[in-house]
Amino acid sequence: MTKMDLMLVRMIKNSKSQFLAVLIIIITGICVYTSMSMASANLSDTLDTYYEENRFPHLFVQVLGVPVQVAERLERVEGVGKVTGSLVMDVPVLTEDTEKRKTLRLITIKGDEQELSRSTLLSGRALSDNRKEIWLINQYAKANGIKAGDEIRVQISGADYTMEVAGIVANPEYIYLLESSQSIMPDDEGFGIGYLKEPLGRLIVDEGQNYNYIRIEYEPGAKEEALIEAVEAQLKPYGIISSVKREDQLSNAMIQEELLNLRRLSDSLPLLFLFVAGFILMMILSRMVKKDRLKIGILKAIGYDNQQILLHYVKYAVMAGLAGGLLGSTLGMALAGAMTKLYLEFFNLPLLTVNFDITYIFKAMFLAALFCLISGVVGARGVLKIAPSESMREEPPKKGKRILLERVHFLWKRFSFSRKLVMKNVFRNKKRTAFVISGVALTYGMILFTVTMPSVVDQMMNLHFTEFQKMDYNIGFYKPVDERAVRDLYHIIPIDHAEGKIEYPFELSRGHREVTVNILGLKKDTQFYSFKDTSNRMISMPERGILLSENLAKTLKAEKGDLIRIRSLLTEKEDVEIPVAGVVKQSLGMNLKSMRAQLSGLEASYAMAKETVSKNKILYEQGVLSRQEYDRAVTAERELAAQISSPAIFY
Amino acid sequence: MEILRVENLCKSYQMGEVEVKALTDASFSVEKGEFVVVLGPSGSGKSTLLNIIGGMDSPTSGKVFFKDEEITGFDDKKLTEYRRKRVGFVFQYYNVMANLTAEENVELAMEIVENPLPIDEVIEAVGLSSRRDHFPSQLSGGEQQRVSIARAIAKNPELLLCDEPTGALDYNTGISIMALLSKLNREMGKTLIVITHNSDIALMADRVIRMRSGQIIENTVNENPINAEEIKW
Ligand SMILES: Nc1ncnc2c1ncn2[C@@H]1O[C@H](COP(=O)(O)OP(=O)(O)OP(=O)(O)O)[C@@H](O)[C@H]1O
Ligand SMILES: [Mg+2]
Repeated sequence: MTKMDLMLVRMIKNSKSQFLAVLIIIITGICVYTSMSMASANLSDTLDTYYEENRFPHLFVQVLGVPVQVAERLERVEGVGKVTGSLVMDVPVLTEDTEKRKTLRLITIKGDEQELSRSTLLSGRALSDNRKEIWLINQYAKANGIKAGDEIRVQISGADYTMEVAGIVANPEYIYLLESSQSIMPDDEGFGIGYLKEPLGRLIVDEGQNYNYIRIEYEPGAKEEALIEAVEAQLKPYGIISSVKREDQLSNAMIQEELLNLRRLSDSLPLLFLFVAGFILMMILSRMVKKDRLKIGILKAIGYDNQQILLHYVKYAVMAGLAGGLLGSTLGMALAGAMTKLYLEFFNLPLLTVNFDITYIFKAMFLAALFCLISGVVGARGVLKIAPSESMREEPPKKGKRILLERVHFLWKRFSFSRKLVMKNVFRNKKRTAFVISGVALTYGMILFTVTMPSVVDQMMNLHFTEFQKMDYNIGFYKPVDERAVRDLYHIIPIDHAEGKIEYPFELSRGHREVTVNILGLKKDTQFYSFKDTSNRMISMPERGILLSENLAKTLKAEKGDLIRIRSLLTEKEDVEIPVAGVVKQSLGMNLKSMRAQLSGLEASYAMAKETVSKNKILYEQGVLSRQEYDRAVTAERELAAQISSPAIFY
Repeated sequence: MEILRVENLCKSYQMGEVEVKALTDASFSVEKGEFVVVLGPSGSGKSTLLNIIGGMDSPTSGKVFFKDEEITGFDDKKLTEYRRKRVGFVFQYYNVMANLTAEENVELAMEIVENPLPIDEVIEAVGLSSRRDHFPSQLSGGEQQRVSIARAIAKNPELLLCDEPTGALDYNTGISIMALLSKLNREMGKTLIVITHNSDIALMADRVIRMRSGQIIENTVNENPINAEEIKW
C-alpha cells in the first residue's frame, strides 16, 4: 500500500463517525434501490409465470350473447390459439347485513386443464359436476370470513340459491379485484367472484346455449389487429359490448400500472438518497481540502502532482461508494425477499420462488461508486487551485462586502449582533444558502404532498359527486329495460326524482383518429348531471350534438363544431356524424393511480365516460350526447332506442 | 561547476492599488556542492527567492537556470517533475504528515522517485534510528525537523532548499540541525541553500547572500567556513 493510501486509511479510522454518516446514507439509497428493483423484477417474473401457468388470455370480448358453436368456431380465425367462453352474471348476495350491498359475479368454467384463465385452488376441493357448489375468489372469502365448506346465498333472477363453497381460488383475471372500471377502490367485502361449472350455470342463469364472455389466446406470432378485426366481424351480429386487449384488461392494467410505479419509484427514490449522499460527500471533501491546505502544499512541494493528490481525496469518496454499495445491496437483497412476499400478498398472487439476481449488487455498486466519484471530484477539485508556495501562508479572508440587507437601516438596526452575523453568513455564501433552502423546500414539499394528497382527492371526489353528478343511487339492469320502468319506480319506492340513462360503447372517429368510449345518453332536462365548459361556465345539454370531455376532445383533436363519426359496436347500423356541441371539464379525469379507474363516469356531465384504449395506456374519457341524439345515432328506429334505455338513476 | 543561475529575477504582488515588490533584479549563481546561506530581515524577499528557485512559484520577470534548463519556462507538469526529482525542501515549521510515522513520512517522498537513497541510511544519517516508528505527535520539534530533512534528502535530490529550518527550534537544537545539514552537504555533496535570520550560521557557509527590501545587497564567498560545533560559545 502506498503511503498516500495509508494516510487515507488512517484518516478514515480517525474520523469514523463522519465516514459512517455518509455510508449510512449511501447504504439507505442503495438498499432501497436493490430491494425495490428486485421486488419489482420478481413481481413481474412471478406475474408472467402466473399468467402463463394459468393461461391468462390475450383478448377478452364481452358480448350480449353468442351461441356456443359460434364461439368455438372462433378458433379457426387466423392466429387464434384457444377460445374459452363463459356465462357471466352479477348477482346480489343475500346476507343478514342489510346495510351493505354485496355482489357476486358468477362465471362459468369448464373445469378442465386447458381452459383459459384457469383458477388456482388455494384451499378446498375441485368442483363436482352434479352439486350446487362454487369456488369463491380468495379476496372476497377472506374479507367476509368465508371458508371452504361454508354456504353462500345468492339471488338469481328473483330466486334464492344456496350454494356450497367448495374451494377458495385465485384467478389471473381478478388479481386486482375491481367490479368495473367505474369502481373507485377494490371492495373485497362487497364484490367477489364465484366460479361454477357450466352446466350448473346454464341451469340457473337460463341463457340457453349462449356465452356472453369470450376469452382468446393467440398463437405465437399472431397479428393482433387483424385477428381482432376478424373476431369482431364474426361476433358483431351477436352484439359486442367490449373487446379488450390483455394490456387493457382491468386487473392486469392496474397491476402493470402498479409495477410501473414501483419501477419508477425504484429508479428515482434511490437517486434522491444518492444525490444527498453525493452532496454531503462533496461538502465533506471540500472542507477537508480546505483544512488540508498546508498538507496539500507540502505534497506538491515534495513533487506529488495534481492527479495524485486529487485521487487521494476521490478515493475517500469512492471507498464510501463501494462500501455503501456492497453493504446496501446485500441488505437490499435480504429486504427484497420480504418485500416481494408483501407485494405478492397484496396482489393475491399465489406464489412461487423469489429470485436473487446478483447482478443487482454490481449495478448498485457501480451506481454508488459513480455518484461518489463525481461528487468526490467536484468536492476535491479545490486541490488544483492550491499553489505550494501560497499554502505555506495564511489564506487571505474573504472580502467582507456589505450585504444588501445592511442598507435597509431601520431593519438592520433592530438585529442583535449574533443575528447580524447569521444574516451576513447567509448572504455571503449564496451558493450554500441556495442549496440549503432547496433541500429544506424539497423535504417540506414531500411531507406536505403526502399529508395533503388524501384531502385533495377527497375534494375532487366531493366536487365530482356534488357538482357534476348529484344522484344518490344508481340502479343497473342486467338487460335494457323500457323507459316505463323509471315511472314504475315511483310506485315501488318513495323517491323525489328518477331519470333513465343509457350507456354503451361506441367507436368515435375524426379523420384517422379513433377511440372506443362509452357514451352516456341523458335526458335533455337531466337533474343529475351538470357540465362546465373549459372556462368554467355552466352549460346545459345541447339540442343537438355531443359533449366531449377535455381528454377525449384532445385525443380526437376535436373542437366545438367539428363533426364526429360515431359507429355502433352493438349493431350493424350505419355510422352517424354528429357535431361537437361543446367540450366539458372533468374534475377527476387525471391519471391518478388508484382512482383512475373510477373517475370515468364522474366528471362529465351529461354524457358518459369510459375508458378508451390509446396505445398502451388506458385513458378515461367521455362523450356526452343528448338523449334524442343518442337515439338518432345508435338506432334510427325508435324501438331499439327504447330497448337500450336501461340504467335508471334516482334519488 | 555551476548548478544554479539566477538572472534578473523580479517578483511583485499587486495588492489593490499598491504594487509590492518582493524581489527586485536578483542575480547570482551557485556552484555544485556549495553551501549557501541567505540572510536578511523579515520581508526582504528570502522565501520568495527560494520558492522560485524550488519551482514552487513563478517570477514576474527574470530567469532561473538549473544546470542547462530554464525552469522559469517550465509548465506545471515539468515543474512538478523538477520538484520531485531535483529538489528537496525543508520548511520552517517541520511539516510532516501527522498520521504517518517518521519512517513512513520519509517513504512518502521516496515512493515517487526512481532512485531514492536507502531508507536505513537516511534515517541513520538524521539520527532517528530509534525513533523511526514514532508518530510526529510523539516526537520533539527537533526530531520532527530531522524527519522533514530525511524526507527531503531521501529522494536524493541535487538541490536542498531550507527555509529557516531552525526558525522554530531552540538554539542548541538549531545548531545540531545545522550540523546535520552541513554534514549532508559535505558527505553527500548536496548543494545546500539555507535561509536564516541567524548571522552566526552564515559562518558555516561557503557563500553568503544578504538581502534587503527584495534586493541582493551582498554576495560574498567565505574562504574559511567553520564547523557547526564551533559556533557554540
Ligand atoms: N502572496 C503574497 N501576496 C502579497 N504579498 C506577498 C505575498 N508573498 C510575499 N509577499 C510580500 O513580499 C515580501 C517578501 O516576502 P517574503 O516572504 O519573501 O519575505 P521573507 O524574507 O521570507 O520574510 P520572513 O523572514 O519573515 O519569512 C513581503 O513584503 C511580503 O509581504
Ligand atoms: Mg520567509
